[in-house]
Amino acid sequence: MFESRLRLVGSALAVGLVVGAGGLVFAILALGSVRDASETMFVLGALAFGFGLLGWSGSILAANSVEAMQEHLDAASGWTEQNSRRAMARIGSFGFGVMVGSAVATVALGGV
Amino acid sequence: MVSKRFFLKRLLLLVPVLFGVATLVFAILHLSPGDPAKVIAGQRATAEQVAAVRTELGLNDPIWVQYGRYLFDIVTLNLGDSYIVRKGVPVLTILRARLPVTLELALYGQLLGILFGIPLGVLSAVKQDTITDHLTRVGALTGISVPIYWSGPLLILLFAQFLGLLPASGRIASAYDVPVYTGLITLDSLVYALSGGGFGAFQSAISHMLLPAAVIGVYSMALISRMMRSSMLEVVRQDYMRTARAKGQGAKITIMKHGFRNATIPVITVIGIQFGTLLGGAVLTETVFGIGGIGTLLVNAIEVGDYPLVQGTVLVFAFLFTLVNLGVDLTYSYLDPRIEQ
Repeated sequence: MFESRLRLVGSALAVGLVVGAGGLVFAILALGSVRDASETMFVLGALAFGFGLLGWSGSILAANSVEAMQEHLDAASGWTEQNSRRAMARIGSFGFGVMVGSAVATVALGGV
Repeated sequence: MVSKRFFLKRLLLLVPVLFGVATLVFAILHLSPGDPAKVIAGQRATAEQVAAVRTELGLNDPIWVQYGRYLFDIVTLNLGDSYIVRKGVPVLTILRARLPVTLELALYGQLLGILFGIPLGVLSAVKQDTITDHLTRVGALTGISVPIYWSGPLLILLFAQFLGLLPASGRIASAYDVPVYTGLITLDSLVYALSGGGFGAFQSAISHMLLPAAVIGVYSMALISRMMRSSMLEVVRQDYMRTARAKGQGAKITIMKHGFRNATIPVITVIGIQFGTLLGGAVLTETVFGIGGIGTLLVNAIEVGDYPLVQGTVLVFAFLFTLVNLGVDLTYSYLDPRIEQ
C-alpha cells in the first residue's frame, strides 16, 4: 500500500522535475530572460500543485458523497473517490516537481 | 452526537484545503499581467524608482523565496500591508473593517433563503401537482434565473423610487451615529438601542438591509425550496412513512416528525455550498446598493494588482467557506450518524 502510494507520488514528482527543468530552457528561449522564464515555470507548477492539493483534499472531504449520490441516481460512471484522490495526488506531485525542477535549474543556470 | 475522531479529521483537512487555495491564489496573481511596482511608483516614475519599489516589496527576490515568505506570513497570520488601494494599511485591519459588511449581507440573505425556502419546498411537495406546487416551482425557477444585477435595480425602482417604502442605498441613515462593536450594523444598532440609544437606528439598519438581503436571498430561497421539494417527495414515498401513517399517525405529524429531518440532509449540503455563492453574490449586491463592503475593494485590488489585499481577501473567503462546510459536515453526522461511517 505504502509502496504503491510512494510510486504514484514519486513518478509524478520525477516527471515534474524533468518538465520543470526542461521547460525552463524552452521558456528562456521564448521569453529571453532567465528570471521571467523561472517565474513563469515556477508559477505554472504552483498552479498544478495548488489545484492538485485542493482536489486531493476535496476528494477526501466530499468524493464519497458524490460517489454515493451517483449510485443513488443510477448515474454511476465508474468514477470513484479513490481514483479521484490518486489523480489529484499525481497532479499535485507533478506540479510540485515542476516548482522544484524549475527552481533548481534556475540556480544551476546562474539565474539568481 | 458527533464523534471527536470525525471532527478532528474534518478539521485537519482544512489545512490542505487552505494551503491549496493559498498556492492557487499566489500562482494566479503572478500569472496575471501588470506590475504592482509600476503602479505604486506612479506613471512618471523612472526605471530606478520602479526598481527601488520592487526591492522594497521583495519582488526582486527569486519567486520561490516570495512563495515561501508568503506561506510563512499566512501561517503567522501576517497578511501584509496593502500596496496600493489603502497604501500601508495592514490587510487584516482592512478586512476587519470591511468583511462584517459583506458577511452580514450574506448571512441575512442565507437566513431569508432558509426561512422561506424550506417551508415553500415542504408545501410544494405535500401539495404536489396542485396550483400551490406549480406557483412555487415557477417562483423558484424565476428566482434561480434572475441575475442580481437585474433584480437589484428593479427592486430599488419599485420599493425606493415608486413606493418610497425602503431606502435605496447605504447601511443606515446618516442621522444615526452608532458605535461599532461587531461591525454588523444591525447587531450594533440593536446593542445601541438596548443600552438606551433608542430603536430608531435599529429600524433604520433593518430597513436598509431588507432590499439587498431580499435580492441575495431570492436566489438562495429558490434553490433551497427546489431541493427541499425533491428531497421531501422522495422521503414521503419511503416505507417508514407509510408505516407511521398505517399506525394511525396524522399526516402532518408524520411529515414533520419522520419526513422533515431525513429530507433536510441534502438541503443542508445545498445551504453549505450556497454560502460561497452568497459571498460572491454579496460582492455584486454591495455594488448595486452602494454598500461599502469587501466587494468594491476586491475589484479595485485586482485591477491595480494589490497582491496582499487580493490574497488576504480570497484566503479569508476560502477560510469562511471551509468553516461553513465543516459546520455542514457536522450537522450531517448529527442528523444521520451513519454518515460518520
